[in-house]
Amino acid sequence: MVDPIHIISSALGVAFAIGIVGKLGKNVTIAVMLSTLAFMAFISLQWFMAFFSGEQETTQIFTAGFKPPISINLQMGFNEALFTLLVNVVGLLGGIYLIDIFKKQSKNVLTVFLVLIMGLNVIIMTRDIFNLFVFMEIVSISIAGLVFMDENLKSSQAGLKYLIATSVIAGMLLIGIIFAYYFTGTLNIDDLIATNLTTIKGGGIVVFLILISIILELKPFPANGWALDVYESSTPGLGAIISAAAATASFFVLSKVMDIAGQEWYYYISLIGAITFIGSNLLGLKQDNAKRLLGYSSIGQLGLLMIILGFRDILGDQTPYVIFGILVSHYFAKAGLFWLSGIVKAQKLTDWAVIRKKPFFLFLMGTFLFALIGFPPFPSFFAKWTLVMELVGSGNVTWVIIVLFGSMLEAVYLFRWFGYAIKGENEHLEVFKIDLHKMIPVWIVALALYAVGYFTAQMTEVGATINFIPLAFVGVLLAIDFLPVFVKNTIAIAGMLLHFYFVYPDLDDIRLLFEVIFIIGGALALIAGYAYKGKRSGFYPVAILMYAGLTGIIEASTTLEFFYGWELMTAGSYFLIIRGKRSMPHGLSYILFSIGGAYALLAGLGMAHVGHTTFGMDILNNIQYLPVWAYALIIIGFLTKTAALGLHIWLPGAHGEAESDVSPMVSAILLKAGVFGLVLVLIGMGAENNQYEMLTYALGWLGALTVILGSIMALFQEDAKRLLAYSSISQLGYIVLGLAVMSHLGWLGAFTYVINHFLYKFILFMTLGAVVLRVGTHNMYQMGGLIKRMPIAFIAVLISIIALAGIPPLSGFAGKWLFYNALIAKGWYFQGVITFISSGIAFLYLWRLIHTVFLGQLKDNHRNVKDISIWFSIPIFVLLIGLLTFSFKPEWVLQPLGNMIAEFFPTGQLTWNGGTAISQYGYWSGSVLGITIGSIFMLILIWLLVSTRKAHKVKQFDITYSGERPERPETTHVAYNVFEGVYKAIWIATIPLVETFWTRVTNLLHDTAGFTRRLYSGDGQSYMLHIVVFIVITYLVIIGG
Amino acid sequence: MQYLTLQNIGFATGFILILIGIWGFLTQKNIIKIIISFALFDTGTHLLLVAVAYIKDRTAPIIDSSVNSANAVNEIVDPVPHALALTAIVIGLGITALMLTFTLKLFKHKKSLDITKYKDLKW
Repeated sequence: MVDPIHIISSALGVAFAIGIVGKLGKNVTIAVMLSTLAFMAFISLQWFMAFFSGEQETTQIFTAGFKPPISINLQMGFNEALFTLLVNVVGLLGGIYLIDIFKKQSKNVLTVFLVLIMGLNVIIMTRDIFNLFVFMEIVSISIAGLVFMDENLKSSQAGLKYLIATSVIAGMLLIGIIFAYYFTGTLNIDDLIATNLTTIKGGGIVVFLILISIILELKPFPANGWALDVYESSTPGLGAIISAAAATASFFVLSKVMDIAGQEWYYYISLIGAITFIGSNLLGLKQDNAKRLLGYSSIGQLGLLMIILGFRDILGDQTPYVIFGILVSHYFAKAGLFWLSGIVKAQKLTDWAVIRKKPFFLFLMGTFLFALIGFPPFPSFFAKWTLVMELVGSGNVTWVIIVLFGSMLEAVYLFRWFGYAIKGENEHLEVFKIDLHKMIPVWIVALALYAVGYFTAQMTEVGATINFIPLAFVGVLLAIDFLPVFVKNTIAIAGMLLHFYFVYPDLDDIRLLFEVIFIIGGALALIAGYAYKGKRSGFYPVAILMYAGLTGIIEASTTLEFFYGWELMTAGSYFLIIRGKRSMPHGLSYILFSIGGAYALLAGLGMAHVGHTTFGMDILNNIQYLPVWAYALIIIGFLTKTAALGLHIWLPGAHGEAESDVSPMVSAILLKAGVFGLVLVLIGMGAENNQYEMLTYALGWLGALTVILGSIMALFQEDAKRLLAYSSISQLGYIVLGLAVMSHLGWLGAFTYVINHFLYKFILFMTLGAVVLRVGTHNMYQMGGLIKRMPIAFIAVLISIIALAGIPPLSGFAGKWLFYNALIAKGWYFQGVITFISSGIAFLYLWRLIHTVFLGQLKDNHRNVKDISIWFSIPIFVLLIGLLTFSFKPEWVLQPLGNMIAEFFPTGQLTWNGGTAISQYGYWSGSVLGITIGSIFMLILIWLLVSTRKAHKVKQFDITYSGERPERPETTHVAYNVFEGVYKAIWIATIPLVETFWTRVTNLLHDTAGFTRRLYSGDGQSYMLHIVVFIVITYLVIIGG
Repeated sequence: MQYLTLQNIGFATGFILILIGIWGFLTQKNIIKIIISFALFDTGTHLLLVAVAYIKDRTAPIIDSSVNSANAVNEIVDPVPHALALTAIVIGLGITALMLTFTLKLFKHKKSLDITKYKDLKW
């Protein structure tokens, strides 16, 4: 193997030789420099492989023929090999990226660049503290020097501030080093650790100076204005090096030097990390400059790493894994994003909309952002999971909250940015040019993120069980995205059915039920996709991503697999939702609520794991650590997906604005993921456990209130799809309430609702979506009389709204009947009354829906519309048959359901007498009811037809407005604002309290951020003051306090 | 009087210089003065290094005619801090030079040396 000293010697040698080599021409010089970097990376890689295979032991490299402390020694161990590898790889890729600038600038830039990378290698490997100081200074000087690669007024200011700040910090370090030597007579880090400086009189201050300077190099909030300016103003190629390489190396320095201080410092390092993580991400909220935003995010990630470092005693063996996962994700993603920003050349976040003119770049950007936030399959996901499990396991719940809150803030601004990229205005922006040498590094880091993510998963016992095949299928669909819709659609449907075929024999009844809804339902929904023409770019990968997640949560045998599936599903559904025309804000609120919910779930799963050695799903059945809180957190996580009251504000926009065939996917199918989760948790809590009565009681009320407020809001919608969306909120409220009853009948009712809601909401969204495709508007008052043009759609809507309203004889009535039985048996009369009233309201809004859209006068511009597409009709009619079967032969479904539920709630089952269900309060038969009501209906219909046969048909133009055209034509429409009277009575229930609440929270955070960031006044001197004040306050807290 | 050793004087002077330096770069608005403050700060640290090396009645760690090379270890002060001081001086030189370069560039842009004039990057 090549001696690691050659990392330094080759870099130094070539750096000097560039003076001579430079005579051979720019291209040769650049090639020589890049090959040197490649050679350095090769040495690190070679050592890394050797350490990884476990054959190699840590070696010391002595210089000048002496042993320490006389000479400087370097160390090459596993960590050093890994970190130098990271630095050298990004050095090489960054060098390739910068080729065009290198060509324009003098050859001295090459020397400085090489020296920078070499300096980073030395500060990683050196075991001599003065040597560390020297090379930290060399790194600072080279970074400041490289600012000149793109010299302008801003970058020069930033460079000067950076240089002043880092030299003062280094000065402090030097003072610390001088006295460390004075007290101990050694400069060797290992010797310093061994002498236990803190026990010597005055040693405390020495340790303080050394540590605080190294922490300051990591840019702690708020003493970091100098670094932010460099991120913002320097050329993106340099930003990538600082963020990925220099920060990585500085972090490693802290990890090796902090042992000089000993364990009492660990807590403070975590504390500084926490302040940095939260503070930086908070201020990121107000950023509209992409590079500065990346700066804030970089600093925030370093804060997170500091938190982890401070917990290394508690994390124990897991520390390297957690640090590796977070650090590597940040390293690749940040380098990639900085490089992208150089390619896209958009300063303002809103200008990033231009990126989707080249969709592949949008994919790259998405990869980096999801990796930063910690979505699967990226390493940060597994690291964050382990971190939370360990922190909760050691009782550090507060720290979990800090970590998750900070991550949440980061997610807010990163996803807002991503939203601009996906949906922002981009017509006025010019397409960016792509140079191959700039592309290659970005490709490589994106690919590496996936590869390392897979590898990280294999490193843990639980992670290795994760099934990556569905994800690979997503990859395949991404690769064939250029094919026309019908090919991709067929492949997608075939893939899903095949998956179902392989999976279903191993599933228990509950899981099978949900798998059918998710996968068979999903395949049905995809059939409508044949109606689309062209390529429908990007649709199939994300749709299958969502289904991969959904099947993932069904198949999960461990909590990690469950959470993995949950996050995939969230990511996929986010992309699906944001595809809608006006979906940008709704996509954002969806993903933020989802991430918040996921974090609650994560914390809850962490608490569930305490006291167990495995991660099996059965740990949910026996939570030992603060069980009520744990269950509550997990339930809140699931309630964000079922859109319970308070967590529902994302749903109306997300479902209402989604594409026609996406709405049924995200409504009829996706919402059931939350229900599935609730079912699992409530089974875990157990039927007879009084301990959780408060919890289920609260859940029941939440369900009841969701039911009524959902329907009231649905009443006042003018937009057909939003009406259906609010109706979904209300329907999911029934399910939550039914489950919360925790009895056989309650659950039977809830499951009936699960099936029913899937059936009729699928049909309704699909049909109205198809109608919207034909008429081009969502607004009901712009439609009317469509029964004449779209009889098929009319029939579908008619049948499903009868079912939804719970009117006998259709299956909705079965749900209601079971439901009221359960509520009466439980004694929840108030909740019963509320839901009863809400059925009436449901009837009103459904009447309005069908009346406004299909009855009345046909609009002029709809005279020639065709009936809904055949591809939409197929799934609609398949499910209509299902709905009618369920309605007239309910026992076919309810009896197996009852048997399934009896496993958990054996008492209070229905008794079946043929097709008649008997409960303690009465009996009911689907078939008899169907025949009776059907006959009465037919009789009335015949009578009406006979008695009105002579009636005069009113033509559309029989009415006039006295020759005037009304100012707002929609006000003359019978269905416009039809419930005005009702509104006067119950307006109080429609005040958007919840939305106001969340708006206030958002504003509070943004205002705090806006106020706090004024700290960064731009004045280099005040940044110095921040550093000094930071040092003084930290001193008072740590030593003086 | 026992505290008034040459070493302590070295320490005291060093710290005074460091404090003047800190005071300077926190209060002076002129960029050149800030750089001078940094130089003072830097010199202070060099003085500390020399003071740390000091051993009474010994000479500079340079092996020449005044030092018996066979017994050098007992005749010279601690050479390590002196080596460090040399290195630190070189680094200080590099940094000062680069700071001045930036100042020059800034001056060309705005014709001003007032650091408060350069607030184009903030928040």
